[in-house]
Amino acid sequence: MKPAGFGQQDVPLFDRNFFRSPVPITRIGNGELGGKASGLVLIRDMLASHFDAENFSGIEVYVPKMVVIATDVFDAFMERNGLFETAFSDLADDHMAETFQRAELPTEILGDLRALAEEAHTPLAIRSSSLLEDELFRPFAGVYETKMLPNNPPDVDTRFRKLVEAIKFVYASTYFNSAKSYIRATDRTSADEKMAIIIQEVVGRRHDERFYPDVSGVGRSYNFFPASGSTPKDGVVNLALGLGKTIVDGGASWIYTPTRPRAPMPFNSVRDILKLTQLAFWAVNMGRPPAYNPIAETEYLIQADLAAASYDDTLSAVASTYVANRDRFLPGTTHSGPRVIDFAPLLAYGNIPFNEAIRELLSISEQALKDAVEIEFAMDLSDIAHARFGFLQLRPMLVSEKEVEITDEELATAGVLLASNRAIGNGTLDTIRDIVYVRPETFEARLTPRIAAELETVNRALLEEKRPYLLLGFGRWGSSDPWLGIPVEWGQISGAGVIVESTLPDMNVEPSQGAHFFHNLISFEVPYLCVTHDSTGGAQARKIDWDWLNFQPAVTETSLLRHVRLEQPLLVKVDGRTGRGVIWRAQVAEENPRS
Amino acid sequence: MAYKPYNSFSIAQTQFDGAAEILGLDEATSDLLRYPMREYAFAIPIRMDDGKNRVFRGFRVQHNDARGPCKGGIRFHPQETQDTVRALSMWMTWKCAVVDLPLGGAKGGVICDPHNLSDREQEQICRGWVRQMARNVGPNTDVPAPDVMTTPQHMLWMLDEFEGITGAKVPGFITGKPVGIGGSLGRTEATGYGVIFTVREALKDMNIRASDTTASVQGFGNVAQHAIRLYEQLGGTTVCVSCWDQKDRTSYAYHKADGIRIDELLSITDRFGGIDKAKAADIGYEVLPGDDWLKQDVDILIPAALENQINEENVNDISARVKIIAEGANGPMTTGADTVLRDRDLVVIPDFLANAGGVTCSYFEQVQSNMNYYWGKDEVLGKLDSKITAAYLSVSEMVRKRKLYMRDAAYIIAVDRVARACRDRGWV
Repeated sequence: MKPAGFGQQDVPLFDRNFFRSPVPITRIGNGELGGKASGLVLIRDMLASHFDAENFSGIEVYVPKMVVIATDVFDAFMERNGLFETAFSDLADDHMAETFQRAELPTEILGDLRALAEEAHTPLAIRSSSLLEDELFRPFAGVYETKMLPNNPPDVDTRFRKLVEAIKFVYASTYFNSAKSYIRATDRTSADEKMAIIIQEVVGRRHDERFYPDVSGVGRSYNFFPASGSTPKDGVVNLALGLGKTIVDGGASWIYTPTRPRAPMPFNSVRDILKLTQLAFWAVNMGRPPAYNPIAETEYLIQADLAAASYDDTLSAVASTYVANRDRFLPGTTHSGPRVIDFAPLLAYGNIPFNEAIRELLSISEQALKDAVEIEFAMDLSDIAHARFGFLQLRPMLVSEKEVEITDEELATAGVLLASNRAIGNGTLDTIRDIVYVRPETFEARLTPRIAAELETVNRALLEEKRPYLLLGFGRWGSSDPWLGIPVEWGQISGAGVIVESTLPDMNVEPSQGAHFFHNLISFEVPYLCVTHDSTGGAQARKIDWDWLNFQPAVTETSLLRHVRLEQPLLVKVDGRTGRGVIWRAQVAEENPRS
Repeated sequence: MAYKPYNSFSIAQTQFDGAAEILGLDEATSDLLRYPMREYAFAIPIRMDDGKNRVFRGFRVQHNDARGPCKGGIRFHPQETQDTVRALSMWMTWKCAVVDLPLGGAKGGVICDPHNLSDREQEQICRGWVRQMARNVGPNTDVPAPDVMTTPQHMLWMLDEFEGITGAKVPGFITGKPVGIGGSLGRTEATGYGVIFTVREALKDMNIRASDTTASVQGFGNVAQHAIRLYEQLGGTTVCVSCWDQKDRTSYAYHKADGIRIDELLSITDRFGGIDKAKAADIGYEVLPGDDWLKQDVDILIPAALENQINEENVNDISARVKIIAEGANGPMTTGADTVLRDRDLVVIPDFLANAGGVTCSYFEQVQSNMNYYWGKDEVLGKLDSKITAAYLSVSEMVRKRKLYMRDAAYIIAVDRVARACRDRGWV
C-alpha cells in the first residue's frame, strides 16, 4: 500500500543560506517532489519519529543535505524552450541531451542555483525524482540518469555552469530511448512524466584526487536468494567500498544476511575469494578535469583499484588480510598480505552497532511503507567513534503473497523446458508465445555489448506489438561489467515477461543482480529464473532444452540472437516461498493443470 | 560654472547631502562627491543630407571613478542640458555602488532630435562624438552605453569609429551592442527581471508569498513587460497595466480582475509598447484613464514608464493595501511624494536599486567583451539574480538595523562605498 504522499507543503522553500542552516531538505518551486524525493522526506520524518539514536551510539544516521527542484520548474523548462516535440521524437540520446543543453533553465530558479553553487563546496549528486515513480508507486530504478559533480572548481561561475549542465542532462534523460521503453511497459507514456531534481551532497571524504564513502550499501528486507539456514524475511545487505554505483550496477560486492552478519559468503576457495570479491571501486574524480562531456553520466566518475584504496588508507575499516602462513583471513590491515573487501572489521568486531542500525532501519522502513523495502546508504568512517550514516534512498519492494505450488509430479513431466531452484517472483503465467534467446554456440563474453544492442531492437518491436516474451541469456543480466553478463539497461529488455539467466562454462558467475535491475524485476513482476549449464543446479533443476528451442522456426535471427514464436503459449510457474520455478513447453503446457 | 537651483542636479546634490550628513562625511569628501570629477563639452560639426553644415553640442560627464572605470549612457535629446547630464552621472555612481559593481558613474549626451535626422546624419553624430572623446573614454576608463533615443545601432557606429581610431578590436569600449556583435544575452530582460528580484526579496522580508499578491504596473515597454512576465512566473497576478496611446495622445490603464495575460496583450501591442485599446476591450479588458494604474487595490505598484509620475497630487490615491512600490523607471516619484510615503507603512524600493539590473547586465557585457568570450543566458541571469539580491539584502539589512527609509539606506551604502574608495586611494 502506498503511504500518504509527501507534497511540497512538507518541505520548506530553499533559503540561500541553506548550507549553514540545520534544515536537511528544502525545495525550489511549488510543484511535486517526485518519488525519490518523497521517499527521502519520509526518511527524514521516520528518523525523527521512529529511530532512537541513543540505542546506536557511535553512528549518526542522517539524510544528507538536499534541495529538490520541483516538477513545475521542469514544466516551465519544457514549455518555455518548446522542447516537447523534440522530447517525443526518436532522437538519439546524445542528440537529445545536446538539445536540452542548449535550452535555458527558468529565470526564477537561477539565482537560487547560483547561491547554491556559491555555498556548496562538497561534491554534489544531481539525481532524478520522477513523478510517475511516485504515482505508480514503482521505483523506476536506474531508468533516469544521475550525475555526480566534484563541485571543486575554484570559481563560482564554473561550479554554477556545471550544476546547470547536470540538471539539463537529468531532464534530458526523461526522454532517452531506454526511459521511453520503460514507461511504455507501464502502460503510460513519456507525456505523463514530469521530473523533479534532487541536488544532494555526496557522502564521503576526499582522498587526493578521489572522493568516496568508506562504505556504500543496499539493504533489502526480503531476500529472494536466501542462503542456507536463512529465510527470505531475514533480508539481505550488499556492501561495497566507494560509491554505490558498484552495487546498483551489479558489480562485485559483499553480501550478507542481517540475522547472520558474520557468516562468510559461500566461496569455494581462497583463490575464489580473492578473485570474486570487490577489486575496484567508484569515486568522484576531484583531480584533473576530464574531457568536457556534459552528456555523459560518468563524466566525473573514476574507477580505482584496491591499491589506490590502500594508498588512501580506507581499507582498514572494511578489509581483511589473507595471512598465508596461517591460511586465514584476519580482519583489518595490520598484517601484510592480499586484502579482501569483506567488511569484517565492521561486521565481526562490532565496534559500532552497524548491523543493528541496518536492521532497525529496515524494520522501521517496512513499518512506514507497510511492505518489504530496499534502502540505500553510504557511510563516512573517518572518525570510527562517530561514524556518519547517510540514508540515501527508500523504495518499496513488491513481494507477492499468492501461493503457487510446484509438485514433483509436475516436474517429472516430459514437457519441461527448464527448471530452477533459484527463481525470483511468484505466480503463474500462460500468455507468453515469444522466446528471444542468446545462441549458446556463438556466445562470447566479448560480444555481450553487441548482444545488448541487438536485444534493444527486438525488444522495441515486441513492445510495439504488445507481445511479452521469454528472454534467455548467459551471465548476469544487467551487469555493468560486460565480462560478467549482458550489459543491458532495463529499458532495452523492458518487454520481457520472463527472464532466464543461465551459466556457461566460460560465464559461470553468481546470480547477483544490481539493485536497479533487481528492483525493476520485482516491480514489473517479471519472473527471473537462474539455471546452470551443468548439474550443479540441484536435484530439482532442469537444464535448458536447447534442441527443442533450436527446432522452433525463427521470426528473426542473427548470428547472436534468435527470436522464435510458438503456436501455443508457455506455462511459467514460480513459487516465491521455495524459490522454485519451471517453464513448460507449449504442447505440454496444455496438458498441465493451471493454477 | 554657476549651477541653477532646483534643477535635477540640485536635487541630486540635495539627496547626496542627506546621505553625507548621516554618514558624517568630512568636507573634502563631500566637496569631491557633490560635483563631477571631469566634464567635457564639445562641438560635433556634421554635413547634413541637404549639404549644409550644422554643429551639435555634445557632453560627457564623469562623476567619479574611484571604484573603477566610469559607466553611463549617451542620450540624444533636444532638451538635453549639461546639468541633467551631471545629475544623471552622479546617480550612475550611486547605482553602480549600491549593486557593488567595480565601476564609477558617467553620463553623456548630444543635443539633437533623432526623429528629425536621417540614419546617415545620426551615424555622423555618433562618429563625431567618439572622435571628440576617444582619448578620454575606453574599456579601462569610461564605457558608454545606450540611453534615451540611442540604440544598439548607435553603439555599433561608435564602436566602429573607436576601433578605427585606436587601430584595434575593443568590443569592451561600449555596451548595449546587439547579441552576436559583442552584446550579452539577457540584456533585454535584465532591467525588468532586476525589478522583480528586488520585489521577491521584499516579499520574503514581509513573509508574503508572491502567489498571494497582485500588482499594477505603469508602462508596457521593455522593462514593464519583462517585470510582469517574471512576476507571473513567480506566481503573482498583475491586474492592471497602463501605457501611452499615440493615437489619442493620452494614456490608458487596462484592467482585468483575474489577471492580465502578458502574451495576449503583447499580441495587440505595437513596437513602442502601445496597446490597441479597441482590441483590448474586445478581449475583456476594462479600459480606464491612464492614472488609474496608481489607484488599484493591489499589493505592489511598479512605475516603469517616466519620471515624476507619482507626485504630491496623486500620492494619496495609493491604496492602503499597497505594501511595495518598486521604482522600475528612473525618478518616477517626486521628492514631495516621497516625503508623504515616508510616513506610510510601505516599502519603496528606490530606482537606483530596483532598476539596477540594466547596468549590472551592461557590466556583464563589458566583462564578456573584454574577454571576447560570451556566457549562456542561464549564466548571465543567474549572476544577475545573485548580484541584485545581494544588493537588496544589504540595503534591507541597513533598513532593519538603523530603522531607515529604504531610499536613505541605499544612498548611505552607495555613498559610503564611493567615499571609502576615494579615501583608500588617498584622494581625500
